[in-house]
Amino acid sequence: MSVNPMAYEAQFFGFTPQTCMLRVYIAFQDYLFEMMLVVESVILKKLDGFPDCKISAFQIRKSTEKFLLFMKERFDKLFSKMEEVLLQLVLNIPKNVLLPEDKVHEQYPYSREQFQALQDEIHQLQQQYRAEASAGQALRAELEEQKAVQAELEKILQWFDGLENICREHGTGNFKESFAFLTQNSKKLQDVLKDVEEKSKKIKKHDQLL
Amino acid sequence: DGEGGPPVPAAPGRAQVFATVVDTFLEKLVAAGSYQRFANCYRCFYKLQPEMTRSIYDQFISQLQTSIKEEIQEVKDEGNLEVLFNSLDKIVEEAKNQEEPAWRPSGIPEEDVRSAMVPYLLKHRLYLRKILKEKEEENRKVAQSVLAGRDRIAELQQLIQARKHAWQ
Repeated sequence: MSVNPMAYEAQFFGFTPQTCMLRVYIAFQDYLFEMMLVVESVILKKLDGFPDCKISAFQIRKSTEKFLLFMKERFDKLFSKMEEVLLQLVLNIPKNVLLPEDKVHEQYPYSREQFQALQDEIHQLQQQYRAEASAGQALRAELEEQKAVQAELEKILQWFDGLENICREHGTGNFKESFAFLTQNSKKLQDVLKDVEEKSKKIKKHDQLL
Repeated sequence: DGEGGPPVPAAPGRAQVFATVVDTFLEKLVAAGSYQRFANCYRCFYKLQPEMTRSIYDQFISQLQTSIKEEIQEVKDEGNLEVLFNSLDKIVEEAKNQEEPAWRPSGIPEEDVRSAMVPYLLKHRLYLRKILKEKEEENRKVAQSVLAGRDRIAELQQLIQARKHAWQ
């Protein structure tokens, strides 16, 4: 027969019911013994007032023992009954009762696997967040670069537009066309110059041969 | 409307049972230690001094009861038992519809602490899901800006090429 440690009750009351009962038993028993000793000493004292009576201290001690033995027996029986009732009805927590402080165990009865799955999920979410965060940083870095590049390109565009405005202001008509014509002409000139150089080289050669 | 008879008295609470049980114990103990029995044990003295015997007995019984009652009160006070009894009565009453045996500590802290941690983990998971969603949304918007920016740069480059050609 195993002894019920009443640990759950101890959690609630702050003491083990059996310990409490034991303490009370010992206290009661002590009082009983104490009282009996007092009774005996009072009787003995009273007897001193009757010097010629034939009652000895030994007899009184015997009487005390007789009474105490009887009382102790009754006391043990009665206390045992009381203890049983208290442990079953008062200092106990029925099996179907869950203390409020333990509610989480009713609400979230997670097995080891379920708990592990939850932890894994959280770990994964953390990693995903980190990845998103660094992706965001990269995007913002490119955005900054783009701003710089756009600014440069717009500067160049503005320079071109500025050139057009100058030409328009000075009324040189289609400066673009004349500039283009000039560039083409200077190219033609360069080609002609090249031709002349080659021809003069040839002539010089002929002269030398002659 | 008819009331269904007199109200059923509630079952006595733990405090009540406790008091009753202790009183019963005391009563029976006193009854066992009756004056007859006392006088019978101390017969010789009783014969000599019956009144004194009675007086000594009365004091003895009275003192014993007082001591026992005081001890009980001390235990109640120290353990705050009145409050605990009433509280437990309430808890038991609330669980009266539960038929299944309730959870009990397994004795293994690692096992039991899991359930205690679950609410925090669930909160944490909720939080992570939220900030992840926000981050993803934020990045989506920035990505759109980046794509638009690339288009703009391509457009600018084309315009510049066009200008260049016009000047050749």
